[in-house]
Amino acid sequence: MFEPIKLRILQGDPIIHDVRNAKLPQLFRGLPKISAMKCPDGCTVCREACPTKAISLNPVTIDLGLCVFCPVCQEVCPEKIINFSNEYCIGTDNRAKLNVTSETKTITPEKASKQIISYFGKSLKLRQISAGGCNGCELELNALSNVNFDMGRYGVEFVASPRHADGILITGPLTENMAKATEICYTAVPNPKIIILYGACAISGGIFQNSDNIDRKFIAENKIDLFIPGCPPHPLTFINAILDWFDKK
Amino acid sequence: MTPLQVQNGQLISLAEIEYLNVNDWSDAVSIGLSSGYRMIGLFPIDNNTPCKLIAQFADALSSSIHIIACEFPKTELKFESFANRYPQTNYFECELAENYGYILINHPWLRPVRKQSLINGNQPYEFYKLKGDEVHEVAVGPIHAGVIEPGHFRFQCHGELVYNLEIHLGYQHRGIEEMMLKANQNQRIILAESITGDTVIGHTNAHCMAVEGLSRTSVTLRAQVIRTIAEELERVAMHLASLGGVANDIGFAIISSSYGRLRTLVINSLASICGSRFGRGLSVYGGVRFDLNDENIQEITTKLLKVQHDVDIINNYLLSSSGSITRFDGTGVVSKEFAQSVGLVGMIARSCGLESDTRVQYPYGAYHYFPISEISLPTGDVFARVRLRTLEIRESIRFILEQLENLPSENIDNELQDFVPNSMIISMVEGWRGEIVHSVITNGKGEISQYKIKDPSFNNWYGLSLALHKTAISDFPLCNKSFDLSYSGHDL
Repeated sequence: MFEPIKLRILQGDPIIHDVRNAKLPQLFRGLPKISAMKCPDGCTVCREACPTKAISLNPVTIDLGLCVFCPVCQEVCPEKIINFSNEYCIGTDNRAKLNVTSETKTITPEKASKQIISYFGKSLKLRQISAGGCNGCELELNALSNVNFDMGRYGVEFVASPRHADGILITGPLTENMAKATEICYTAVPNPKIIILYGACAISGGIFQNSDNIDRKFIAENKIDLFIPGCPPHPLTFINAILDWFDKK
Repeated sequence: MTPLQVQNGQLISLAEIEYLNVNDWSDAVSIGLSSGYRMIGLFPIDNNTPCKLIAQFADALSSSIHIIACEFPKTELKFESFANRYPQTNYFECELAENYGYILINHPWLRPVRKQSLINGNQPYEFYKLKGDEVHEVAVGPIHAGVIEPGHFRFQCHGELVYNLEIHLGYQHRGIEEMMLKANQNQRIILAESITGDTVIGHTNAHCMAVEGLSRTSVTLRAQVIRTIAEELERVAMHLASLGGVANDIGFAIISSSYGRLRTLVINSLASICGSRFGRGLSVYGGVRFDLNDENIQEITTKLLKVQHDVDIINNYLLSSSGSITRFDGTGVVSKEFAQSVGLVGMIARSCGLESDTRVQYPYGAYHYFPISEISLPTGDVFARVRLRTLEIRESIRFILEQLENLPSENIDNELQDFVPNSMIISMVEGWRGEIVHSVITNGKGEISQYKIKDPSFNNWYGLSLALHKTAISDFPLCNKSFDLSYSGHDL
């Protein structure tokens, strides 16, 4: 009968108390730092090598909405201009802010409107839709509810029914076969409602952007409230984006 | 005639493949299946020449793969289905019909694999329906209650008991196999990592093995051992996730959260090696991208010893509690005979008393030199699937700790060579769910002209249907979680 107590003691204190200053492994690839150094003349190796064509040149710009955070560009750059840092606070409300240049120091969302904060600031219930997600993002979203990240302490939870939800969170590139279900699910969420895109696939199609089997009409037609980049995004990226958006400092 | 026989990861020249006529091929396939071959692939050599069909079989007795090929008349892509006598071929035949328009004579149950409710080109498909008093139908999905992937389940129930469960998938279809043909090298490896995000290491290793085999690139033992360590870390992490899910489904919160905590330790170990909690970016063609240093080894060892210590206590509590035993014991049984006849693979097959472990039967990479024990349990119920996971976690941790102590010292990456033209390779890897098969064919120009992937979930989803037969519908979540199959791996 003492087993549950024993297990509880064994658990210790695994929760990440300070979600803003958690120490991630040195090798974790978060916000890329681009040095202001000039590229060698005519050099395009990073752009050619990037698997999702996320890089444009003059000046070097990485679109984190497309980036899958493989270190290929960092490896091929002859001048070591691109370096991934382990900064994980990179969620934002504005797609354009995901374009990282040498001037980018941080990426954060603007504070949400008064209305949104008054509706959802204290309690946000989300219905997650996996529309072609590979289960990487889904596992990280499940991890948000575990004893380490415990997103529930900020009033954010995933719910079973869209009727109980304040918005939807999409993972995956939106496959043709999920297009209709996504539409129906979104319609079933009562107004007012928000849309969050989680991961490179959801934001831009990612590695699947040229697939013949995806249908991204839904994304084009609706206003997106938050973009959480990553492949998959770290759970702390999501928590911090929500906290910043709701201005919970 | 004797079929062409190859090893896991062995390069075959396309010229060696002998194409039989339809009748001889049917006979040869029937003889093979009756002597215990298991189908692992059925697809044409090239998407533009669907008449040249290749059937691949795994033969555990000889630890080899057999290839039996057939050339059909161009206008008559049809053959007598094998599925009536050998149900394991059923789904492979459905896939062939769907992708290449083959006509299967007397096929017992043609159903859509990835297309939405369409068979035989464009004919509508109707779910099996039970008729009579006291029967009812329950439809679930594609969007489920939890944060999981989409799939549609149709239950035909008689009272509380499920009479038939039909699983309809394809919602996740992204077309990875076609994309593999057009993609460049850097894109291919990301595609392989994204087949299923929970088996990143398994699929990437299978993909790299195939590419390295096709280009005769050698991989150092140190790189192979690091890949193997990552593969076993992935197995431990995902088994812990599944156990947590099972505990959650029976409402055992403290157990569920304890497994979740341990999983974090394991995936953070992976992140300390390669920067990604899922092992993305670790494997590259010709080796691995990140080496292990003393600091890594020390960190992983400490974390794994902690996991080993805690997990034993958690397992004991879970498996000695009468509350969980009543839910697990005898629930969702798949008999050994059924498991064999429908061709289940991996840990699901091992929990039904079968021997099915690629690491042992068709060894590859570092498993050639450092064997791992295969664990099998006879009962085929939820209990067996849970217990097997707990045992495999222990064995995997033992294996990893042993490897970490004796890492060979060598370089970790070799240069990738050009592809050998007109060749084929079959690369099999034991992911945490089971056997992953990547078959790759190159054309005369040395470009990839066919890429076929088989995830273990392709075989095992039907096992879940069987497990639900005459099981209470309320036990479905528990059974589903104990199988823990991949939607995206099936749908690709």
